[in-house]
Amino acid sequence: MHISEGFLSPQVLAAGWVAAGVGTAIGLKKLDPDKIVRVAVFSSVFFLASLINVPIGPSSTHLSLLAPMGLVLGWSVFPAVLVALLLQTVLLQFGGLLVLGVNTVNMALPGLIVYLLFSSRVRRGNAASSFAAGFLAIMLGALGVGTALSLSDPEMAGAAKVVFAAHLPLALVEGAVTFFMAGFLKKAAPDILN
Amino acid sequence: MKNNERKKISSPLGVAGAVFGLIIGLAMELISAAGPFVESKAAWAHGTGYRQSDKKPISLEFSYSTGEAMSYREAKVFSPRDEKFAFQSGRTDEDGRFAFTPNAAGQWRVVVKDEEGHLAEAKIQVAREFLDDSEKAAEKVAAGSATANTTIIEKTAIPGGMDLVLRSVLGVSLLFNIAAFTSLARRRKGGGS
Repeated sequence: MHISEGFLSPQVLAAGWVAAGVGTAIGLKKLDPDKIVRVAVFSSVFFLASLINVPIGPSSTHLSLLAPMGLVLGWSVFPAVLVALLLQTVLLQFGGLLVLGVNTVNMALPGLIVYLLFSSRVRRGNAASSFAAGFLAIMLGALGVGTALSLSDPEMAGAAKVVFAAHLPLALVEGAVTFFMAGFLKKAAPDILN
Repeated sequence: MKNNERKKISSPLGVAGAVFGLIIGLAMELISAAGPFVESKAAWAHGTGYRQSDKKPISLEFSYSTGEAMSYREAKVFSPRDEKFAFQSGRTDEDGRFAFTPNAAGQWRVVVKDEEGHLAEAKIQVAREFLDDSEKAAEKVAAGSATANTTIIEKTAIPGGMDLVLRSVLGVSLLFNIAAFTSLARRRKGGGS
Protein backbone atom coordinates (compact mmCIF):
# COMPACT_ATOMS: atom_id res chain seq x y z
CA MET A 1 0.00 0.00 0.00
CA HIS A 2 2.94 2.33 -0.53
CA ILE A 3 2.25 5.04 -3.06
CA SER A 4 5.35 5.67 -5.18
CA GLU A 5 6.84 9.03 -6.03
CA GLY A 6 5.35 10.71 -9.07
CA PHE A 7 1.65 9.92 -8.64
CA LEU A 8 0.38 12.62 -6.33
CA SER A 9 -0.17 16.34 -6.79
CA PRO A 10 1.80 18.84 -4.66
CA GLN A 11 -1.38 19.76 -2.74
CA VAL A 12 -2.03 16.17 -1.72
CA LEU A 13 1.63 15.68 -0.79
CA ALA A 14 1.57 18.82 1.36
CA ALA A 15 -1.71 17.88 3.04
CA GLY A 16 -0.24 14.47 3.79
CA TRP A 17 2.80 16.02 5.47
CA VAL A 18 0.67 18.39 7.54
CA ALA A 19 -1.59 15.56 8.76
CA ALA A 20 1.38 13.26 9.41
CA GLY A 21 3.16 16.06 11.29
CA VAL A 22 0.16 16.78 13.52
CA GLY A 23 -0.41 13.08 14.20
CA THR A 24 3.25 12.47 15.00
CA ALA A 25 3.44 15.50 17.30
CA ILE A 26 0.40 14.33 19.28
CA GLY A 27 1.73 10.79 19.27
CA LEU A 28 5.10 11.89 20.68
CA LYS A 29 3.45 14.11 23.27
CA LYS A 30 1.25 11.27 24.50
CA LEU A 31 4.14 8.80 24.42
CA ASP A 32 4.75 7.24 27.79
CA PRO A 33 8.54 6.82 28.28
CA ASP A 34 7.95 3.35 29.67
CA LYS A 35 6.21 2.30 26.44
CA ILE A 36 8.89 3.45 24.02
CA VAL A 37 10.23 -0.08 23.66
CA ARG A 38 6.73 -1.23 22.81
CA VAL A 39 6.55 1.38 20.05
CA ALA A 40 9.92 0.21 18.72
CA VAL A 41 8.78 -3.42 18.71
CA PHE A 42 5.64 -2.66 16.73
CA SER A 43 7.50 -0.29 14.45
CA SER A 44 9.99 -3.11 13.72
CA VAL A 45 7.20 -5.61 13.12
CA PHE A 46 5.54 -3.19 10.70
CA PHE A 47 8.90 -2.56 9.02
CA LEU A 48 9.52 -6.29 8.56
CA ALA A 49 5.96 -7.40 7.82
CA SER A 50 6.13 -5.82 4.38
CA LEU A 51 8.89 -8.29 3.46
CA ILE A 52 6.88 -11.41 4.19
CA ASN A 53 4.62 -12.45 1.35
CA VAL A 54 1.26 -14.01 1.97
CA PRO A 55 -0.24 -15.70 -1.07
CA ILE A 56 -3.89 -14.75 -1.56
CA GLY A 57 -5.52 -16.37 -4.57
CA PRO A 58 -3.58 -15.74 -7.76
CA SER A 59 -1.72 -12.79 -6.28
CA SER A 60 0.29 -12.23 -3.16
CA THR A 61 0.47 -9.42 -0.67
CA HIS A 62 1.98 -8.76 2.70
CA LEU A 63 0.50 -8.25 6.14
CA SER A 64 0.55 -4.77 7.57
CA LEU A 65 -0.78 -5.49 11.08
CA LEU A 66 -2.29 -2.01 11.17
CA ALA A 67 -5.00 -2.91 13.69
CA PRO A 68 -2.86 -4.72 16.29
CA MET A 69 -0.37 -1.86 16.10
CA GLY A 70 -3.10 0.74 16.50
CA LEU A 71 -4.82 -1.10 19.35
CA VAL A 72 -1.60 -1.42 21.34
CA LEU A 73 0.00 1.93 20.56
CA GLY A 74 -2.93 4.32 20.32
CA TRP A 75 -1.74 7.77 19.21
CA SER A 76 1.89 6.56 19.20
CA VAL A 77 1.06 4.66 16.03
CA PHE A 78 1.93 7.85 14.11
CA PRO A 79 5.62 8.10 15.11
CA ALA A 80 5.92 4.29 14.86
CA VAL A 81 4.65 4.25 11.26
CA LEU A 82 6.56 7.38 10.24
CA VAL A 83 9.90 5.97 11.37
CA ALA A 84 9.22 2.51 9.92
CA LEU A 85 8.21 3.96 6.55
CA LEU A 86 11.20 6.31 6.54
CA LEU A 87 13.52 3.33 7.05
CA GLN A 88 11.69 1.35 4.36
CA THR A 89 12.15 4.25 1.94
CA VAL A 90 15.82 4.74 2.72
CA LEU A 91 16.88 1.11 3.08
CA LEU A 92 14.47 -0.82 0.87
CA GLN A 93 13.47 1.73 -1.80
CA PHE A 94 9.76 1.37 -1.04
CA GLY A 95 7.65 4.49 -1.48
CA GLY A 96 9.57 7.77 -1.46
CA LEU A 97 10.55 10.71 0.69
CA LEU A 98 8.04 13.19 -0.77
CA VAL A 99 5.09 10.82 -0.40
CA LEU A 100 6.19 9.75 3.09
CA GLY A 101 3.64 12.09 4.67
CA VAL A 102 0.71 10.70 2.71
CA ASN A 103 1.85 7.10 3.23
CA THR A 104 2.21 7.69 6.98
CA VAL A 105 -1.33 9.05 7.21
CA ASN A 106 -2.72 6.18 5.12
CA MET A 107 -1.18 3.60 7.45
CA ALA A 108 -1.33 5.32 10.84
CA LEU A 109 -4.77 6.93 10.71
CA PRO A 110 -6.64 3.61 10.26
CA GLY A 111 -4.72 2.25 13.27
CA LEU A 112 -5.72 5.27 15.33
CA ILE A 113 -9.37 5.07 14.20
CA VAL A 114 -9.74 1.40 15.16
CA TYR A 115 -8.03 2.20 18.47
CA LEU A 116 -10.59 4.92 19.21
CA LEU A 117 -13.52 2.77 18.05
CA PHE A 118 -12.67 -0.68 19.36
CA SER A 119 -9.92 -0.62 21.99
CA SER A 120 -12.19 -0.75 25.05
CA ARG A 121 -14.26 -3.59 23.61
CA VAL A 122 -11.17 -5.51 22.49
CA ARG A 123 -9.75 -5.13 25.99
CA ARG A 124 -12.90 -6.70 27.39
CA GLY A 125 -12.29 -9.67 25.11
CA ASN A 126 -14.90 -9.02 22.45
CA ALA A 127 -13.77 -11.30 19.61
CA ALA A 128 -16.05 -9.73 16.99
CA SER A 129 -14.54 -6.33 17.73
CA SER A 130 -10.99 -7.61 17.20
CA PHE A 131 -11.95 -9.05 13.83
CA ALA A 132 -13.80 -5.88 12.87
CA ALA A 133 -10.79 -3.76 13.88
CA GLY A 134 -8.45 -5.79 11.67
CA PHE A 135 -10.85 -5.73 8.75
CA LEU A 136 -11.70 -2.05 9.03
CA ALA A 137 -8.08 -0.90 9.37
CA ILE A 138 -7.15 -2.41 5.99
CA MET A 139 -10.22 -1.08 4.24
CA LEU A 140 -9.57 2.39 5.66
CA GLY A 141 -5.96 2.17 4.48
CA ALA A 142 -7.13 1.22 0.98
CA LEU A 143 -9.66 4.06 1.11
CA GLY A 144 -6.85 6.47 2.01
CA VAL A 145 -4.68 5.28 -0.89
CA GLY A 146 -7.63 5.52 -3.29
CA THR A 147 -8.57 8.98 -2.06
CA ALA A 148 -5.01 10.30 -2.39
CA LEU A 149 -4.76 8.92 -5.93
CA SER A 150 -8.13 10.22 -7.13
CA LEU A 151 -7.63 13.64 -5.54
CA SER A 152 -4.37 14.01 -7.43
CA ASP A 153 -5.72 12.79 -10.73
CA PRO A 154 -9.49 12.47 -11.32
CA GLU A 155 -8.71 9.91 -14.00
CA MET A 156 -7.50 7.59 -11.26
CA ALA A 157 -10.94 7.50 -9.61
CA GLY A 158 -11.75 4.21 -11.32
CA ALA A 159 -8.45 2.80 -10.14
CA ALA A 160 -9.27 3.84 -6.58
CA LYS A 161 -12.25 1.50 -6.62
CA VAL A 162 -10.00 -1.27 -7.89
CA VAL A 163 -7.60 -0.66 -4.97
CA PHE A 164 -10.50 -0.85 -2.56
CA ALA A 165 -11.84 -4.12 -3.96
CA ALA A 166 -8.37 -5.64 -4.23
CA HIS A 167 -7.83 -5.22 -0.50
CA LEU A 168 -10.94 -7.15 0.57
CA PRO A 169 -9.12 -10.51 0.85
CA LEU A 170 -6.27 -8.95 2.82
CA ALA A 171 -8.80 -7.24 5.10
CA LEU A 172 -10.33 -10.64 5.91
CA VAL A 173 -6.89 -12.11 6.63
CA GLU A 174 -5.92 -9.18 8.85
CA GLY A 175 -9.26 -9.46 10.63
CA ALA A 176 -8.45 -13.06 11.47
CA VAL A 177 -4.87 -12.23 12.48
CA THR A 178 -6.05 -9.39 14.73
CA PHE A 179 -8.63 -11.73 16.27
CA PHE A 180 -5.94 -14.28 17.18
CA MET A 181 -3.41 -11.68 18.30
CA ALA A 182 -5.93 -9.94 20.56
CA GLY A 183 -6.92 -13.30 22.06
CA PHE A 184 -3.25 -14.18 22.66
CA LEU A 185 -2.35 -10.80 24.14
CA LYS A 186 -5.37 -10.90 26.44
CA LYS A 187 -4.11 -14.16 27.89
CA ALA A 188 -0.34 -13.60 27.78
CA ALA A 189 -0.01 -9.87 28.50
CA PRO A 190 -3.36 -8.30 29.36
CA ASP A 191 -1.80 -4.97 30.36
CA ILE A 192 -0.48 -4.42 26.83
CA LEU A 193 -3.95 -3.70 25.44
CA ASN A 194 -4.65 -0.48 27.21
CA MET B 1 12.71 49.50 -87.06
CA LYS B 2 11.57 50.54 -83.65
CA ASN B 3 8.80 47.99 -83.79
CA ASN B 4 11.21 45.34 -84.99
CA GLU B 5 13.69 46.14 -82.27
CA ARG B 6 10.93 45.96 -79.73
CA LYS B 7 9.88 42.61 -81.04
CA LYS B 8 13.48 41.40 -81.00
CA ILE B 9 13.84 42.54 -77.44
CA SER B 10 10.46 41.35 -76.29
CA SER B 11 10.73 37.88 -77.73
CA PRO B 12 13.80 36.79 -75.68
CA LEU B 13 12.15 38.37 -72.69
CA GLY B 14 9.02 36.41 -73.39
CA VAL B 15 10.96 33.16 -73.63
CA ALA B 16 12.79 33.90 -70.43
CA GLY B 17 9.48 34.79 -68.78
CA ALA B 18 7.90 31.58 -69.96
CA VAL B 19 10.85 29.51 -68.72
CA PHE B 20 10.86 31.39 -65.41
CA GLY B 21 7.13 30.83 -65.07
CA LEU B 22 7.54 27.17 -65.82
CA ILE B 23 10.28 26.80 -63.20
CA ILE B 24 8.24 28.65 -60.57
CA GLY B 25 5.20 26.58 -61.46
CA LEU B 26 7.09 23.33 -61.16
CA ALA B 27 8.66 24.44 -57.91
CA MET B 28 5.25 25.41 -56.56
CA GLU B 29 3.89 22.07 -57.55
CA LEU B 30 6.79 20.26 -55.92
CA ILE B 31 6.43 22.27 -52.72
CA SER B 32 2.69 21.72 -52.59
CA ALA B 33 3.23 18.05 -53.23
CA ALA B 34 6.04 17.73 -50.70
CA GLY B 35 4.31 19.83 -48.06
CA PRO B 36 1.51 17.48 -47.15
CA PHE B 37 3.80 14.57 -47.87
CA VAL B 38 6.11 15.71 -45.11
CA GLU B 39 3.22 16.45 -42.77
CA SER B 40 1.42 13.19 -43.22
CA LYS B 41 3.23 10.35 -44.85
CA ALA B 42 0.35 8.01 -44.15
CA ALA B 43 -2.10 10.07 -46.19
CA TRP B 44 0.10 9.72 -49.28
CA ALA B 45 0.94 6.09 -48.82
CA HIS B 46 -0.92 3.61 -50.93
CA GLY B 47 0.14 0.49 -49.14
CA THR B 48 1.96 -0.90 -46.14
CA GLY B 49 4.92 -3.17 -45.71
CA TYR B 50 7.29 -4.50 -43.12
CA ARG B 51 10.68 -5.99 -42.74
CA GLN B 52 12.70 -7.36 -39.87
CA SER B 53 14.48 -4.45 -38.23
CA ASP B 54 18.25 -4.73 -37.92
CA LYS B 55 18.24 -2.29 -34.98
CA LYS B 56 18.85 -3.78 -31.59
CA PRO B 57 16.09 -3.31 -29.01
CA ILE B 58 16.48 -2.91 -25.25
CA SER B 59 14.26 -5.24 -23.30
CA LEU B 60 13.48 -4.68 -19.62
CA GLU B 61 11.70 -6.73 -17.00
CA PHE B 62 9.62 -5.01 -14.33
CA SER B 63 8.65 -6.66 -11.06
CA TYR B 64 7.26 -5.85 -7.64
CA SER B 65 9.27 -6.19 -4.44
CA THR B 66 7.29 -9.39 -3.85
CA GLY B 67 8.98 -10.83 -6.93
CA GLU B 68 5.74 -10.77 -8.88
CA ALA B 69 5.97 -9.49 -12.47
CA MET B 70 4.37 -6.13 -13.22
CA SER B 71 2.27 -7.66 -15.98
CA TYR B 72 0.03 -5.68 -18.33
CA ARG B 73 1.01 -2.37 -16.74
CA GLU B 74 1.12 0.98 -18.50
CA ALA B 75 4.63 1.66 -19.83
CA LYS B 76 6.06 4.84 -21.33
CA VAL B 77 9.45 5.45 -22.93
CA PHE B 78 10.99 8.92 -22.94
CA SER B 79 13.75 9.74 -25.39
CA PRO B 80 16.69 11.97 -24.43
CA ARG B 81 15.50 14.29 -27.24
CA ASP B 82 12.03 14.83 -25.80
CA GLU B 83 11.39 14.55 -22.08
CA LYS B 84 7.72 15.57 -22.26
CA PHE B 85 6.09 13.44 -24.91
CA ALA B 86 6.50 9.73 -24.77
CA PHE B 87 8.59 8.22 -27.57
CA GLN B 88 6.61 5.04 -27.18
CA SER B 89 3.77 3.98 -24.94
CA GLY B 90 2.06 0.70 -24.34
CA ARG B 91 1.79 -2.00 -21.77
CA THR B 92 4.17 -4.57 -20.36
CA ASP B 93 3.56 -8.15 -21.40
CA GLU B 94 2.38 -11.04 -19.28
CA ASP B 95 5.84 -11.46 -17.73
CA GLY B 96 6.31 -7.75 -17.02
CA ARG B 97 8.63 -7.21 -20.01
CA PHE B 98 8.78 -4.14 -22.18
CA ALA B 99 11.11 -3.55 -25.13
CA PHE B 100 11.93 -0.49 -27.19
CA THR B 101 14.39 0.41 -29.91
CA PRO B 102 16.36 3.60 -29.16
CA ASN B 103 17.17 5.92 -32.05
CA ALA B 104 19.37 8.42 -30.23
CA ALA B 105 22.29 8.33 -27.82
CA GLY B 106 21.78 9.64 -24.30
CA GLN B 107 19.69 8.82 -21.29
CA TRP B 108 16.42 7.02 -21.95
CA ARG B 109 13.74 6.64 -19.34
CA VAL B 110 11.16 3.87 -19.08
CA VAL B 111 8.34 4.40 -16.59
CA VAL B 112 5.93 1.62 -15.65
CA LYS B 113 2.91 2.48 -13.49
CA ASP B 114 0.10 0.43 -12.07
CA GLU B 115 -3.30 1.59 -10.86
CA GLU B 116 -2.53 1.20 -7.17
CA GLY B 117 0.16 3.81 -6.85
CA HIS B 118 3.26 1.76 -7.70
CA LEU B 119 5.79 3.12 -10.12
CA ALA B 120 9.04 1.72 -11.48
CA GLU B 121 11.47 3.87 -13.40
CA ALA B 122 14.44 2.57 -15.37
CA LYS B 123 17.14 4.90 -16.65
CA ILE B 124 19.26 3.62 -19.49
CA GLN B 125 22.35 5.27 -20.86
CA VAL B 126 22.54 4.46 -24.55
CA ALA B 127 26.02 4.81 -26.02
CA ARG B 128 26.53 5.98 -29.60
CA GLU B 129 28.23 2.70 -30.48
CA PHE B 130 25.09 0.88 -29.47
CA LEU B 131 23.19 2.66 -32.23
CA ASP B 132 25.92 2.70 -34.89
CA ASP B 133 27.11 -0.84 -34.64
CA SER B 134 24.03 -2.58 -33.41
CA GLU B 135 24.25 -4.98 -36.32
CA LYS B 136 28.01 -5.42 -36.17
CA ALA B 137 27.92 -5.73 -32.40
CA ALA B 138 25.35 -8.47 -32.64
CA GLU B 139 27.59 -10.34 -35.10
CA LYS B 140 30.60 -9.88 -32.83
CA VAL B 141 28.65 -11.24 -29.89
CA ALA B 142 27.50 -14.17 -31.96
CA ALA B 143 31.15 -14.79 -32.86
CA GLY B 144 32.11 -14.44 -29.21
CA SER B 145 34.53 -11.55 -29.74
CA ALA B 146 32.69 -8.76 -27.94
CA THR B 147 30.12 -8.11 -25.30
CA ALA B 148 26.75 -6.67 -26.20
CA ASN B 149 26.83 -4.55 -23.10
CA THR B 150 27.11 -1.15 -24.69
CA THR B 151 24.31 0.14 -22.49
CA ILE B 152 24.55 0.93 -18.83
CA ILE B 153 21.34 0.26 -17.02
CA GLU B 154 20.99 2.16 -13.78
CA LYS B 155 17.70 1.14 -12.27
CA THR B 156 16.58 2.13 -8.80
CA ALA B 157 16.90 -1.46 -7.77
CA ILE B 158 15.04 -3.06 -4.92
CA PRO B 159 17.55 -5.00 -2.84
CA GLY B 160 17.25 -8.77 -2.65
CA GLY B 161 18.84 -11.82 -1.06
CA MET B 162 21.54 -11.28 1.55
CA ASP B 163 21.51 -7.53 0.95
CA LEU B 164 17.83 -7.45 1.87
CA VAL B 165 18.45 -9.38 5.08
CA LEU B 166 21.29 -7.05 6.10
CA ARG B 167 19.23 -3.97 5.33
CA SER B 168 16.31 -5.34 7.35
CA VAL B 169 18.54 -6.04 10.33
CA LEU B 170 20.03 -2.58 10.03
CA GLY B 171 16.51 -1.13 9.93
CA VAL B 172 15.39 -2.91 13.08
CA SER B 173 18.58 -2.02 14.89
CA LEU B 174 18.14 1.62 13.89
CA LEU B 175 14.57 1.52 15.17
CA PHE B 176 15.68 0.32 18.58
CA ASN B 177 18.50 2.86 18.65
CA ILE B 178 16.00 5.62 17.96
CA ALA B 179 13.80 4.21 20.73
CA ALA B 180 16.75 4.07 23.14
CA PHE B 181 17.71 7.67 22.41
CA THR B 182 14.13 8.88 22.73
CA SER B 183 13.81 6.99 25.98
CA LEU B 184 17.06 8.47 27.29
CA ALA B 185 16.05 11.98 26.28
CA ARG B 186 12.69 11.57 28.02
CA ARG B 187 14.25 10.21 31.18
CA ARG B 188 16.68 13.13 31.38
CA LYS B 189 13.88 15.59 30.82
CA GLY B 190 11.78 13.80 33.43
CA GLY B 191 14.71 13.74 35.90
CA GLY B 192 15.44 17.44 35.40
CA SER B 193 11.95 18.66 36.04
